[in-house]
Amino acid sequence: MALRATHITTYMYSEASSLCQTEVHLKPRSHPRQALLDHELLISPLPEFTESRLDYFGNEVTSFSINESHETLTVTSRSLVKLTPAEPLDSGVSTDWEQVRGYVKLREMPDAFDASQFVFDSPLIQSSAEMADYALPSFPSGRPVLDGVHDLSRRIHRDFKYDQRATNVSTSVAEVLKERRGVCQDFAHLMIACMRSLGLPARYISGYLKSSETSVGAEASHAWVSAYCPIFGWWDFDPTNNARPSTDHVTIAWGRDYSDVTPVRGVSIGGGSQVISVSVEVVPNSGL
Amino acid sequence: MDSPAAQVPVTLDPAWPYASAEGFYDEFLSAPSQLRPHWREFAAALAKMGHEELARRWQEGRRLIRENGVTYNVYGGTRSTDRPWPLDPMPLLMEPGEWNAIQAAVVQRASLLNAILADVYGPQKLLRDRRLPAELVLANPAFLRPCHNIAVPGGIYLHVYAADLARSPDGKWWVIADRAQSPSGAGYALENRIVINRVLPDVSARLHVHRVAGFFQTLRNSLLQLVPRHRENPRIVLLTPGPYSETYFEHAFLARYLGYSLVEGGDLTVRENRVFLKTLGGLLPVDVVVRRQDDSFCDPLELRGESMLGVPGLVQAARSGNVVIANALGSGLMETAASAAFLPLLCRHILGEELKMPTVATWWCGQDAPLGYVLTHLKNLVIKPAFPAPGQLPIFGERLSAKDREELMDRMRATPGRYVAQEQVSLSTVPVWEENRMMPRHAAMRVYAVAANGTYLVMPGGLARTSSSLDSMVVSVNRGGGSKDTWVLAEGPTSQLSLLRPSAAPVEINRATFDLPSRVADNLFWLGRYTERVEAAVRTARALLPRVFQESDGNRSAGSQAGVNILLALGHLEQEESDKGRKTLSLERELLSMIYDSEERGSLGWNLHQVRRVAWLLRDRISADAWRILNQLDEQFSQPAPSDALRVAAAQDLMNDAVITLSAFSGLVLECMTRGDGWRFLDLGRRLERAVQVTELLRHGLALQHGADSSVLEALLEICDSSLTYRSRYLTTLQTNLVLDLLLVDEANPRSLAFQFARLHEHVEQLPESQTHIRRPAEARVALSILTSVQLADVQELAVESPDGQLRSLDGMLTRLSGEMRQLSEALTRRYFNLALATRRLTTF
Repeated sequence: MALRATHITTYMYSEASSLCQTEVHLKPRSHPRQALLDHELLISPLPEFTESRLDYFGNEVTSFSINESHETLTVTSRSLVKLTPAEPLDSGVSTDWEQVRGYVKLREMPDAFDASQFVFDSPLIQSSAEMADYALPSFPSGRPVLDGVHDLSRRIHRDFKYDQRATNVSTSVAEVLKERRGVCQDFAHLMIACMRSLGLPARYISGYLKSSETSVGAEASHAWVSAYCPIFGWWDFDPTNNARPSTDHVTIAWGRDYSDVTPVRGVSIGGGSQVISVSVEVVPNSGL
Repeated sequence: MDSPAAQVPVTLDPAWPYASAEGFYDEFLSAPSQLRPHWREFAAALAKMGHEELARRWQEGRRLIRENGVTYNVYGGTRSTDRPWPLDPMPLLMEPGEWNAIQAAVVQRASLLNAILADVYGPQKLLRDRRLPAELVLANPAFLRPCHNIAVPGGIYLHVYAADLARSPDGKWWVIADRAQSPSGAGYALENRIVINRVLPDVSARLHVHRVAGFFQTLRNSLLQLVPRHRENPRIVLLTPGPYSETYFEHAFLARYLGYSLVEGGDLTVRENRVFLKTLGGLLPVDVVVRRQDDSFCDPLELRGESMLGVPGLVQAARSGNVVIANALGSGLMETAASAAFLPLLCRHILGEELKMPTVATWWCGQDAPLGYVLTHLKNLVIKPAFPAPGQLPIFGERLSAKDREELMDRMRATPGRYVAQEQVSLSTVPVWEENRMMPRHAAMRVYAVAANGTYLVMPGGLARTSSSLDSMVVSVNRGGGSKDTWVLAEGPTSQLSLLRPSAAPVEINRATFDLPSRVADNLFWLGRYTERVEAAVRTARALLPRVFQESDGNRSAGSQAGVNILLALGHLEQEESDKGRKTLSLERELLSMIYDSEERGSLGWNLHQVRRVAWLLRDRISADAWRILNQLDEQFSQPAPSDALRVAAAQDLMNDAVITLSAFSGLVLECMTRGDGWRFLDLGRRLERAVQVTELLRHGLALQHGADSSVLEALLEICDSSLTYRSRYLTTLQTNLVLDLLLVDEANPRSLAFQFARLHEHVEQLPESQTHIRRPAEARVALSILTSVQLADVQELAVESPDGQLRSLDGMLTRLSGEMRQLSEALTRRYFNLALATRRLTTF
């Protein structure tokens, strides 16, 4: 299955900005089920300087600066990826969750150390007793970890209402837990907070979702969660749609939370007030 | 003349009593009245000097501190007070043998922490091999992931490192804290030395005290060696958070001493991964940034600090190897108290040796056994956040109520990894000179090391800090403590040859005039404009007050009407329509309220506030006297308004006083500045504003009046401080054309437009842009155009009244001029100040 994604971010300033320095996480990263066939990043006005590097988590980040006076900044990212369907998950044979917690905490094996990059608090996610309380019904003693994660994802989908007006970028996970509503980013953060509160590692995945009538979160960038189990590796779960990402989910980048992989982040000099608009379109590539 | 050592008394001189306190190590006495050997010479010197002489000398020392403006900003923020730096005349003496041990321990510790940083920001082998708990790094907000895998020049993360040391009752030294990201106080230590050397020159010479200047020389040399591509004549800047920071004095002092430019984040910009200083002359490349700003504030683009104080792109510039940042970004990680628990093992593993000086006993609660110990011994421990958390105070277990202790234990059990416990530190005591006698106070010492030639060099001296009372173990200048010079004694008179001083040459005085940052030029320009604006309002109000209040309502003369029009035009009064009677009443009220309680934008009060604000931003460039005058002005205007009956007279007095204070302020500011670009921008602001004010005055007060009579002309002359000149020149009645000549075209009158324009033209021609380009830049063209306009003006023609009594051609000319002045201001802003605009974050989605 090949998907073509077009992601346009536009900033309109009330006054001209004389300098803008930006870094973007917009290039889909390849992984065993995803191959990046084509990618282009179009920036208007043309930046004076552009540079790409890998960040701490191995995502490609591009930074650019615009030194001419401008009133509008448009960043267009076009990607073409080929996705392989996810294997069926026999979560029942995954390791008991308490063992996974102990394994990660002990960090005797290299993979446990790598996983522990995602087990601690991060700028936007603080673990807490409340989070653990919410998560625990999914994790009775001895339950296979991926079973538990799957159940947690299902419960979040059931208990929380998708509501674009309920939250914004600065809403904390604690508020989301209290208000029981939010968008995909909130649900991903919440689920990660729940897992980390139990000592389980969890990654935040930033990506796109193929537009369809049934899925939620396709009109903007999407976000979901990845859970770790030794031998099984990382497995994705989408609490917003109670789905296991397969050929509809395009992965861009992963990190501890949104702040590690913010699609477009920057500073400007001047510019007055800003209006931002974002559009995402993900369609099957008919040519392939 | 040195007396043989045998003759130096070994006991306390009865005239200099001192009693050490029970239960602590005393630095001065080994037993009651028994002097420790290395203090004997010092005590003898004091005894010989006598109380009176010491008191006299110390008075001189305090005067030096005041005059050098050595201050410490106590509360931070605009409302804070700058306190004089608290220094004690009695130094802390360290004997050579003991100092050698301290020195070796600090060198070892700096090398060790540097090696840990290199691993954590590189291969992370210590974490993978579980020699350092991963949580202490991965969960630590001070671990900056964007700085991972940056190859720092020379492998040096800690260019300057400082250790806070304390001595326990058994005489052993302990490290109580590590200062890793931008250790403060080295500048104060140097300033302490300068002052004490002036107070006790004979004593310090006799005791062979090591000099500290070599430390700074080494710092300079080491940084120079790291300059990327070894550029000749590299530019090194000292990055300060700004005048509101606690230790701003030290930043300014060190910058001056080391010959670096003192800059704020907004003065720097990153272009194509290179750091530049924004100056009037354009962007100048920067090779080394010595930062006094916290890690996370250094780059709002990548480090997500809350504030926008930093330099967007700085991390990327460091990553590209185009700039040296001292200390390397991310070094703050080594201020994590919890890591101390693991240093003995890490030292053995990394350096293959034992840790030479222990850290105060530390338990990180993130592991089960230490947590258990801490929970059972909470009463005797100090609890701190495991990760650096500025502003968070330590919790003393013994001071908690049973209930609070339970609550704390619950929190610790829930998130043990966030807590660290330390043994309560028992600090040694030293004599402090208080009310003409020696009193024991607790002391701790901050010792500094600088990276040089693959190892570290320790400053032979340091910043000793003392508690405010014997009951307190807190040695913080912020909380009432004091400071001392630290004298490291040399073995013999051969201190010149000591290995502690790699260079005998004192740091050279650097007199290079620094390139003026755009921000400073901008602030100076506006200081000039705001003071002049306040002065114009005050002069206008002063001229109007008697006119309005001495005349009956219905018979207001044209002169006061002209003044009213001007005040309206300049935004000092609110326009009110409706019938004339009400307008009169309201005018009187408004005039007084303009003086006493105006806060709105553009009002007198607002402009006064702006003067104060901009002056504060320029604190390092304004003399103490000018500050005093500014305070006086503030005081004058903050007096409560008197009762109604006395209001007018009081207002009149206030205006008279304010005119004098303002003149004194601008006089001092101008007199204290060297005639460089800074002065030029201040004067540009003044001249431009005065020209704007006179133009508006003539336009609204004269040109647009319907038939101006002599009372109008008289008011105009008074406001422009030109009545005397007119009277002495023309022994005749007031005539419009003559008044115009004096206020418009007479270049000899310092209040005339022509005078302002001539100065503006001169200044603009001297600015960097005009000097480097053959073609006149926009601002120079405008400056020339306005000057020629007034030079060519024909006052006879301008004074011709149109049928409605207005002076149409005068109005036309003034309107044109005010448009051109606006252009001039905009051109200057675009050319020189635009670079100083504030940075903002883009909304994320």
